[in-house]
Amino acid sequence: MQLAKAGTPSGLIATTAFQGLAVSELGALGVSGLPLLVVEHPLGGERPEAIGRRARQAVEQLTSLLKHR
Amino acid sequence: MTEPASFIEVDDSPEALLAAFCEREWCDGLPIVPPTEERVRAMLGEAPADRSLGAMPPLWRQATLEKLAVNAVMAGCEPAYFPVVVAAVEAMLEPPFNLYGVQATTHPVAPLLIVHGPIARELGVHAGSGCFGPGFRANATIGRAIRLILMNVGGAWPGRHDMATQGSPAKFAYCIAEREDASPWGPLHAGANVVTVFGGEAPHNVNDHVSTTAAGILATVADTAVSLGSNVGWYFSQSQLLIVLGPEHAATIAADGFTRSDIQRYLFEHARLPLRTLKLGGMWGIQDWPRWMMAVTDDDALLPQVPSPDDVFVIVAGGPGKHSAVVPNCTFSRAVSRPIPPL
Repeated sequence: MQLAKAGTPSGLIATTAFQGLAVSELGALGVSGLPLLVVEHPLGGERPEAIGRRARQAVEQLTSLLKHR
Repeated sequence: MTEPASFIEVDDSPEALLAAFCEREWCDGLPIVPPTEERVRAMLGEAPADRSLGAMPPLWRQATLEKLAVNAVMAGCEPAYFPVVVAAVEAMLEPPFNLYGVQATTHPVAPLLIVHGPIARELGVHAGSGCFGPGFRANATIGRAIRLILMNVGGAWPGRHDMATQGSPAKFAYCIAEREDASPWGPLHAGANVVTVFGGEAPHNVNDHVSTTAAGILATVADTAVSLGSNVGWYFSQSQLLIVLGPEHAATIAADGFTRSDIQRYLFEHARLPLRTLKLGGMWGIQDWPRWMMAVTDDDALLPQVPSPDDVFVIVAGGPGKHSAVVPNCTFSRAVSRPIPPL
């Protein structure tokens, strides 16, 4: 939130299972406009290729965020 | 700015009340005492209804005394218990307790309340046989009030904002007192009315019907305190252990001349796992260890589970029998104690 206020492109990253919590949290903190980056759940206990897929999901969304800010 | 309570009208049969509160997700699934205006006012006494203790996560709603009183009534508290509830909420809102983490985590953590001092006896907070279990109004309703507050004020509804994978029976109510009369080392907070909140798992049993020495009892305690499946040890900097010694185990340990700090030191030194075991599973590979531990390569090296002996808390509670308990913390919350002043 402080980064966003300072003009730095910022967002929240969550896995699909935690998307609801993340949306509620952004609302409760009064920053619903902050971008939410969502990657496939879970992160733990996954093999490197699965983690790579999630990283690509995050990078794609991050790239879009930076292009459209 | 907080809104004062509004009113709803509900058929006052017990069944209709329970259904109404369950439908609205305002309770834990058990029957409640209806929080009428009169009862809430009695719970508050002279305390200012609109005084807020702060914003409670995960939904960051203001924890006003009125809201706490509503939930204390629902839980079945007597008004005399209310100062304990308020002090516990104040303790949970202190930054070292990290209530956001405790509320939203997948870990099965619940705030354990330990009531110290004369107020525990005055209110009837039970410290003897079966203290973690049912049968004692003060324990059950103070603990339940805390849970209802965490759900209704904080907004931690299971599977939505409380993300515990399986939860824990300790999330219904988790409140005990110290057995000061049976503690060879005295209470943790001598003479003072204090409440400690400890973000812990449900108690892990320590069964030892054989040992006649401090070393024997504490070897069993130490073994119970370590496992690959625990958070403790992996997230090292905030790992803490609460040791709740049964009076008979405590007496055996004290008979060997051990002080409380001897126990803390002994468990710090012996509640350890070898590096080769730690490599087998758990959080191996993503552990958060200090540099010196990450540098260890000897598979036989025994690595500590907590940063210091001071991170091992020792109290006495329970009745006759050869059982004690270990309560591991969730490792992202540190125990906080607060005085319990009159309101």
